[in-house]
Amino acid sequence: MQFNSYSYLFFLLVVVTIFWNLPKKLRRGYVLVISLVFYATWNVWFVLIPVSLCAAVYIIARFIVFQPQKSRRWMWCGVTLVLSVLAFFKYRAFLIANVNVLLTVLGLTTVPWAVAIALPLGISFYSFEAISYLIDVRQRRIAKLNFLDLNLFIMFWPHLMAGPIVRVRELIPQLKFDSKFDTRFILSGVDRLIWGLVQKNVVANNLGVWVDAGFKSQPPGGYTTLDSWFLAIAFGLQIYFDFAAYSNMAIGAAQLLGIKLPENFRCPYHAATPVEFWSRWHMTLSRWVRDYLFFPLNAKFGGAPFPFYTSLIGVMALVGLWHGAGWGFVTWGVLQGVYLVLYRIYESFRQNRQPELAASRISAASWRMFTLLAVTLAWVPFRAGNIGQTWGLLSCMLFRFSAGAAYPKAFYWMTASVALFCAAEPYLVRLLSVLDGAVDEDRRVLMAGRLVARGLVYACGLLLFMVFDQQATEFIYFQF
Amino acid sequence: MPDDATVRSAAREVVANLVSRPVKDSEPLISSGTIDSLSILKLITQLEKKLHVSIPTETLQPDDFDSVELIVETVQRVVRV
Repeated sequence: MQFNSYSYLFFLLVVVTIFWNLPKKLRRGYVLVISLVFYATWNVWFVLIPVSLCAAVYIIARFIVFQPQKSRRWMWCGVTLVLSVLAFFKYRAFLIANVNVLLTVLGLTTVPWAVAIALPLGISFYSFEAISYLIDVRQRRIAKLNFLDLNLFIMFWPHLMAGPIVRVRELIPQLKFDSKFDTRFILSGVDRLIWGLVQKNVVANNLGVWVDAGFKSQPPGGYTTLDSWFLAIAFGLQIYFDFAAYSNMAIGAAQLLGIKLPENFRCPYHAATPVEFWSRWHMTLSRWVRDYLFFPLNAKFGGAPFPFYTSLIGVMALVGLWHGAGWGFVTWGVLQGVYLVLYRIYESFRQNRQPELAASRISAASWRMFTLLAVTLAWVPFRAGNIGQTWGLLSCMLFRFSAGAAYPKAFYWMTASVALFCAAEPYLVRLLSVLDGAVDEDRRVLMAGRLVARGLVYACGLLLFMVFDQQATEFIYFQF
Repeated sequence: MPDDATVRSAAREVVANLVSRPVKDSEPLISSGTIDSLSILKLITQLEKKLHVSIPTETLQPDDFDSVELIVETVQRVVRV
């Protein structure tokens, strides 16, 4: 059941209505059952994977707590188990294919074992949450959870498929479901839900049609420079609106149950530096990587250049691999790591020798431009089908210039319009919050108008969702 | 083992040096984006030098350094002379 389907919207309406009419003590069990049913709508047997993982993690966490002298060993045992399950389902075929290439080069017999098993949805996301739970328990940051709470934490359906990647300490206190029905909070959840539907169906899906065709095969005369740049920009916009749509719908659905999930995006294409990009793009993944990978790796070195730079590239390569089992994703991660290193080198140079550069507008504008262009370039290997296509597009974008535009005008207009909207996004958000604040100041006069306006906006949003509906197309991040 | 006032004074100084301005003890540093991951690493090293202590990081996370108050609490909790 896709988030942008009629069946899901109906499901949500029924689930939320029953939830708020249930006694509080029954709500936790109810939400867990609904989460299991929701996951089972994709594949009944795959429900066993997160549930079994929860059982294993639950037992290991108990060992961590009750055998403190061996807590480190138990934690690693749990982390290894979780990563092994992830590797088996997600990286098995990739690993065997690469081993076979190596064996062929060496003239040895290849490995025949490569059983095709579908990727369980959300496995990359709930694996990371399970790991964070084990580490937090080992660090005595949180108390161990009972089995019901652990299952609720992992399986809570709004964040199960593609995040936001939550921490135990921010979600578990809320999963008592003891908050009162707050109309303003719930309506804000509906806002997010409807805005997510519009982002997905109107923007991401329509861009996706052009992007899919563009990356599937090159135009008869080959890619031109303009086509290559527009394809890369269009994919950058598509993946942003697609994932932001999913995140908005996840956050919105949780709000309908009185739960606040962390934000995942903050106008990422407005980042002034590569470092800032990662504090605005997939924020909960960035936070996870910082807390559980980057910080432990670097804490002993105090930010010394060599370990810092190498770990930046290594960690970002892993972030790429986390997205998918393919060299294109790894290349994307390495490129992001290189951008971060370049900025850190510049920053270090500026602090040590050229402090006046800090105040330079040219320098700031150059980094802003570099960040936007570099992020756009990195989307090419992420989306391209193979190394040949990646090279073909990147070379057209950077040095093998050719004139002409092979695609219909609608593609260029649509990409440019969405890019323009993206440029205006933070200002529109600010305007909306100002209007919202203004309404608050004079509730009596404007309450009725506000309700009418909200109703009209919801109607427009739902109309757009229906007009542009392409029968519940999948979210890009579901494949990760 | 340095006392609370010494740790607080060192934490204030190191943080002010990193962000190039004085900060309030309760001001969020990491969650607000005031300091980034590299600054957290520098913060730990500079605190160790200033206080002549070793801060074991195995059980720590960046959030433990999210404000001057939290830094003082964290150092007092985990520090080894």
